[in-house]
Amino acid sequence: MNLEKIEILERTLKRERAARKAAEKILEDKSRELYLLSEELQETNLKLENLLDEKSSELKGVFENILDAYVVMDLSGNVLKFNDAATALFGYDVTKEKLNVLNLIYEEDEVYAMTSFGELKTKGFFKNYEARVITKSKEIKWVHINASIIFDRNNLPIAAQGIVRDITHLKLLEEQKKQILNKLEKSNEELYEYAHVVSHDLKSPLRTIDALLSWIKADNLEKFDSETVQNIELIEKTVENMDSLISDILSYSSADFAAEEVDVNLNKVLQNIKTTLFIPTNITLSISPNLPIVKGDSTKFQQLFQNLISNAIKFNDKEEGLIEIDFIEEPTFYQFSVKDNGLGIEKEFHEKIFKVFQSLTKREDSTGIGLSIVKKIVDLYKGNIWLESTPNVGTTFYFTIKK
Amino acid sequence: MNILKRSLNILLIEDHMIEIVKFKKTVSYHDLKHNITEAKDADEAFKILEDKNNLPDLILLDLNMPRISGIEFLSILKKDEDLRHIPTVILTTSDNQKDLEECYRIGVSGYVLKPLKYKDYETKIEAILTYWSLNELKKY
Repeated sequence: MNLEKIEILERTLKRERAARKAAEKILEDKSRELYLLSEELQETNLKLENLLDEKSSELKGVFENILDAYVVMDLSGNVLKFNDAATALFGYDVTKEKLNVLNLIYEEDEVYAMTSFGELKTKGFFKNYEARVITKSKEIKWVHINASIIFDRNNLPIAAQGIVRDITHLKLLEEQKKQILNKLEKSNEELYEYAHVVSHDLKSPLRTIDALLSWIKADNLEKFDSETVQNIELIEKTVENMDSLISDILSYSSADFAAEEVDVNLNKVLQNIKTTLFIPTNITLSISPNLPIVKGDSTKFQQLFQNLISNAIKFNDKEEGLIEIDFIEEPTFYQFSVKDNGLGIEKEFHEKIFKVFQSLTKREDSTGIGLSIVKKIVDLYKGNIWLESTPNVGTTFYFTIKK
Repeated sequence: MNILKRSLNILLIEDHMIEIVKFKKTVSYHDLKHNITEAKDADEAFKILEDKNNLPDLILLDLNMPRISGIEFLSILKKDEDLRHIPTVILTTSDNQKDLEECYRIGVSGYVLKPLKYKDYETKIEAILTYWSLNELKKY
């Protein structure tokens, strides 16, 4: 081998060595990178695992702490899991005994229960199921259930879960409320009937007294002196007052007894009042045209307007009396006004006049009930009543009726 | 003008003595001589109505009666094929709207409130008598 050849070989070797070294270095770098990467991955994995642990312990907390019963069952209804609330509600310890939810269903609710169960399977959930269940100790309880299907990774149904709320107490209250309302309605009706019977029983003797008096008068026309005739007339007047008092008490006591609600055309009601009420010739009653149609009992509206108008007539001292009925429409109610140019009412009496038996003047034709009936009817239709008045100038009564 | 009026056979069902006297007195002043039969309660009335050849032309019925109430009496009467055609007018002090509607629903020919004043009572009764004397009624 000549020198030249050796030199060439040595150079080649050197190059190769250098190349290997470089390759080794690259390899080393790469493996370090890989190592670091896997370290990082491990760390991330650990973090993820922690997170998962956290989530499941959060879930566990929810599962244990919700006040409602939580139930997990397989697709045939075998209970897999109860939380404490479920154990307490149903009385079964599913870690020790087998239980199928079908055994919890109250007989009368079976059809409803099976329909809901079918819905759960077809739609994947049901909501607001309300029915009775039988607990282990044979107690009947009302429950409210929202349930849904649990799916696995491949979207296949594997189980069902439900949140069950004990609504026995609520149902009981509901039932009680219904009973109390029924009872109240019945006793109200009885009271209404009773008031009518009593009023009839009180009015009958008054009719007898009046008939007897008129016969006594007719039979003794020549024998009685003027004083006796006057006394008999006083008795007749007293009997009349008593009769109207009984009528007023009766209408006061039945003022808040609402009959069926129908459409009431107030134009007709007011026309009716205009034709039936005695209106002296010096008094003009002007009624706004196009009064609204309201919902309620027409006799009540008749009474309401009639009482206000007859008061306006009764307490008018002007040569030319004027009574105006008007209204304005608001979004949620109508506001009516009955305006007169009569005696007027002092401010201090504005509240008092609506109280029963509070007549401002001792008048024979006034029982002091009229305005309290008005107030009761306005209350019945969830309205308000008030007045503006200037003594000797006139009074305007305002009241509202809810639409 | 001379309109032919007929005198009526009236069955008055009323338990109150003075009310009966009131009615009889009022009828006696009417220009026609009507025939009045009294019944103090529903049982008595049904006994009178058993004579199918001599039924009244008009029944005046008080609502407040002992045992069988006026409305109960009315329901039985209006279900009876032989009696349901007889015009029946309620004569009462009760202005109970429910009673009034129930009476018209069952089928009455009138619902008259007994007024307080005897004079007003006379006016009302005379109007009823006159009205029914002008009507053509089933002959027995």
